[in-house]
Amino acid sequence: MYDFIKDPTIYNLVRGPLVWIAFIIFVGGSVYRIYTLITLAKKEKVVFPYMSLKYSLRSLLHWLIPFASNNWRKRWVMTTVTFLFHICLVITPIFLLSHNILWHESWGISWWTLSEGTADVMALVVISGCLFFLIRRFVAPEVKFVTFASDYILLAITFLPFITGFLAYHQLLLPYKTMIVIHMLFGEVMLIAIPFTRLGHMLYFWLTRSFMGSQFGWFQSRDW
Amino acid sequence: MAEVKAVEVKEVITEEVLEPSLDKELRIKRKKVVDPGFDETIKKLTPEKIEKTINAVLNLRKTAARFLAPLETCIHCALCSDACQYYISHDKDPTYSPASKLRLTLWEMIRRKGKVSPEFIKQCARIAFTECNICHRCSIYCPFGLDITYQIGMVRRILFLLGVVPHNILDQDNSQSATLNQLWISQADWIDTIQWLEDETRLEYKNLRFPIEKEGAEVMWAPLGTEPKIATYHVVRTGIIMNVAGIDWTVPSKDGWDSVNMAMFIRDFETMQRVVLGLYENCLRLKVKRLVLTE
Repeated sequence: MYDFIKDPTIYNLVRGPLVWIAFIIFVGGSVYRIYTLITLAKKEKVVFPYMSLKYSLRSLLHWLIPFASNNWRKRWVMTTVTFLFHICLVITPIFLLSHNILWHESWGISWWTLSEGTADVMALVVISGCLFFLIRRFVAPEVKFVTFASDYILLAITFLPFITGFLAYHQLLLPYKTMIVIHMLFGEVMLIAIPFTRLGHMLYFWLTRSFMGSQFGWFQSRDW
Repeated sequence: MAEVKAVEVKEVITEEVLEPSLDKELRIKRKKVVDPGFDETIKKLTPEKIEKTINAVLNLRKTAARFLAPLETCIHCALCSDACQYYISHDKDPTYSPASKLRLTLWEMIRRKGKVSPEFIKQCARIAFTECNICHRCSIYCPFGLDITYQIGMVRRILFLLGVVPHNILDQDNSQSATLNQLWISQADWIDTIQWLEDETRLEYKNLRFPIEKEGAEVMWAPLGTEPKIATYHVVRTGIIMNVAGIDWTVPSKDGWDSVNMAMFIRDFETMQRVVLGLYENCLRLKVKRLVLTE
């Protein structure tokens, strides 16, 4: 099995065509999901008349800044973890040195990178964030009650690329070549999953928050 | 209209596990509520009718963005819990949190594609009608600003289409569909009430008028149905205020003067639209500039 996974053909597959497929599905799927939702919303008579740029931005801003909204202040542990988790989740893969080297080798482009130590810590933040959310699903009764198998799967989809990347960098558990192939595969799975699962809250957050902010603004109220 | 027998509505205080026939994960501890609107109506339900009705409403997901987006965005974080007054006042019982109410009703209907039992429908009715009053506070607490109450409203829509609605509210909804007011007040009764109230009030206020059907007035006043029926002193007070303030006002003589919309609460969209339309049609007919509602 190990021999099979570290076979150069498999490596070339996950390094080449699968990356293309994953990115095309991720970008195409995201555009498709946002486009269809907006088209649907246009057909509903009560969505767009409420929409207001001022009230949308006001609401988005209050929920994108830690502790700026009432609920962020009430659940301060959750707030701290979720902000650190989401920031690291997005920043780490984009500014990781080895990812940049891959881009440089393929297309000759690269940008500012994180130092390896920083990236290591940020990956650990994501990993521990996942564990926090997992434990929360078991410990907090109100969360436990609304937990489905799909929630664990989504958590695993997020967790696996980071843990395998971390293990590959430190060359633990499995040989490096095997681990890096698994890491790439899980990364591609995550990219494909974003537009088509509830991980799509990354895309819909902006729309649902804007709509609710605009609605509350319309009635001279606030939603944070 | 079939005659509706008065049935005593009572609450049994002892706690008990509701509906042992439900799946273990859906069984929740609640006080027993007796309401003929729940108990009698579920006896008439068949699995085919339930499935057909639920799927008809759930298919709206494909065309309604407000219905679709929250279902596909909610990450089940339960951060909405602290918003709910039912959750807080029941010592943070997890089954009362907004997300849990969806989990016990709408999400389960989706998961089973509408194949649910009448007992399940009864539990949905208890949750959607008696444990959520659609106050929208959960949207202030949800990090994504999801419209959770809209989803509960869709559960109410399903229940209304199945006829499983609190007895009292269904009666008022029937009244609105027949008379456009919530308390079975006929047009003659309405005009009569306004006129005798004018007669009586003129004993105290000289030249006071309750102008009925005055075309081109500034303001048309639409009371609540309860005011001419059981709280006539509210009509008198409004009349006195309007007269003393010198406002050019009127009330319509035709049906469509009640500003209460009980149909909205049970998501009877057809009657709901007719009630609102009735008010606006009266305004247009009387060519008034402003519509003033009680409350």
